[in-house]
Amino acid sequence: MLEIENLVAGYGGVEVLRDVSVKLSAGEIVGLLGANNAGKTTLINALSGMVAPMSGRILFEGRDVTRLTPRQRVELGIVQVPEGRLVFPEMSVRENLQLGGINARAKPNRSRQMEAVLDLFPRLKERLSQDAGTLSGGEQQMLAIGRGLMAEAKLLMLDEPSLGLSPLFVKYIFDIVDRLHAEGLTILLVEQNLMLTLRHAERCYVLERGQVAIEGPSDVIKDDPRTRSAYLGL
Amino acid sequence: MSEFLQAIAQGVLIGSTYGLLALGMGLLYGVSGVVNFSHGDFISLGMFLCLALYSALSLDPYVSVFITVPVMMVLGTLVFRFLIRPMIGHQFLMIVQLTLGLSLVLQNGILMVFGGQPARTPSVVESKLMILGEVVLRVPHVIAFGVSFALAIGLFIMLRSTDFGRSIRAVHQNAHAAALMGVDVGRVQVLTFALGIGILAIAAALLLPGTPIQPTQGLRYTIITLLVVVLGGMTNFVGIMLGGLVIGISEAFGTIYLSNTLGALMPYVIFVLIMLFRPQGLTWSSSR
Repeated sequence: MLEIENLVAGYGGVEVLRDVSVKLSAGEIVGLLGANNAGKTTLINALSGMVAPMSGRILFEGRDVTRLTPRQRVELGIVQVPEGRLVFPEMSVRENLQLGGINARAKPNRSRQMEAVLDLFPRLKERLSQDAGTLSGGEQQMLAIGRGLMAEAKLLMLDEPSLGLSPLFVKYIFDIVDRLHAEGLTILLVEQNLMLTLRHAERCYVLERGQVAIEGPSDVIKDDPRTRSAYLGL
Repeated sequence: MSEFLQAIAQGVLIGSTYGLLALGMGLLYGVSGVVNFSHGDFISLGMFLCLALYSALSLDPYVSVFITVPVMMVLGTLVFRFLIRPMIGHQFLMIVQLTLGLSLVLQNGILMVFGGQPARTPSVVESKLMILGEVVLRVPHVIAFGVSFALAIGLFIMLRSTDFGRSIRAVHQNAHAAALMGVDVGRVQVLTFALGIGILAIAAALLLPGTPIQPTQGLRYTIITLLVVVLGGMTNFVGIMLGGLVIGISEAFGTIYLSNTLGALMPYVIFVLIMLFRPQGLTWSSSR
């Protein structure tokens, strides 16, 4: 479904990603691991079109999307749930969800999609007219994921969904992730939490200083001694 | 007492239009962080376009506005696309300089075409009066009030309950997240600027009847607009309309109770006093 070939990308002429190749099949849940500054967020921002690649190609469902704008990619179904959630604080929960479904492909089905999202997160239903800025961190993460689903994602990229959440909420969010995966959604999970990701992802890539250091099934990665060293940035 | 009521009424009527002017500036700032110092000169341009249409075709400003709005919106789109947008993200002062430069270009352009003599654009309603008890209102002011509030309410509803309005607010609250939702941030910025300039073209026609105009007046309107947005809060819709009324009323009190030159100082004096005692502006909450 997604093929990243020899991607080089960065900011202001400085390469953050060097020759990264990643593949995802439809329906897979894949983890993207790595220490701080390994390039995880840069990679998904390049997938979202927020960072222009210097070279390399990105194919989505067989189509070259390397030069498409962020809007065009969202319309194709490449949707990011950003790190830190970035909900619109002074808009109600309902308006946040409506904005999630603002792209041309998702817009006609917005009310139906909204019901599905509210069934998934009953908590949001209770807070529909409340400003998103007044929600707890966990609720904001639910809203951010719900907003991403409103966009009718085919590939959902979650950037640090466990960040700053209580263990209870982390479990809740990852149960939701498992459920979305079971329903057939393709998921790219970017996490610093090593054990959590290995438990939920089928395969993992470990990024180290902008390059793929290790890749493979989660249980193999888990026992690979290089994982720990890459992870600690040693 | 009748003078007092007269001042209040006059101030409210004109102040509503000042509020409208400031909404245009606030919207642009909200989506792009740009403070447009050529704001007043676009108003000026709108007025002189009405004058030109009167000279050429004897059109009343209230008719000309249907021509000046689209013309100015196209001009605004071009200015934003080719001058302002390339500067977004650069230092704030560079954008200030750019828009100040634009102000001088507009001002001198108008001077070149129309000359420096004060000019007037007649309208059929120009000298009509409306008498309510002891208060005498000029009909153009009443029209300005009605249209300004109708537009302000329209804008408010647009921001609250349309997808375009929600995109504007989303870009204001978090441009990065808005882009990730598939909102075309650049397009929202251009359209918002064009919308703001269209509003200015309407305000120009509303302020025109009975007002002598000259090419150098732009800065005065820019400053009045700045006073209003600072009082109301750059992106605070209700605060801005309230700020417009405060400035309008102080101006009216100044001209009715004091001499002409001293009266013109009133809005600035009131502004300084409010800023001294309520530096956070007129309304309680800092945003929204």
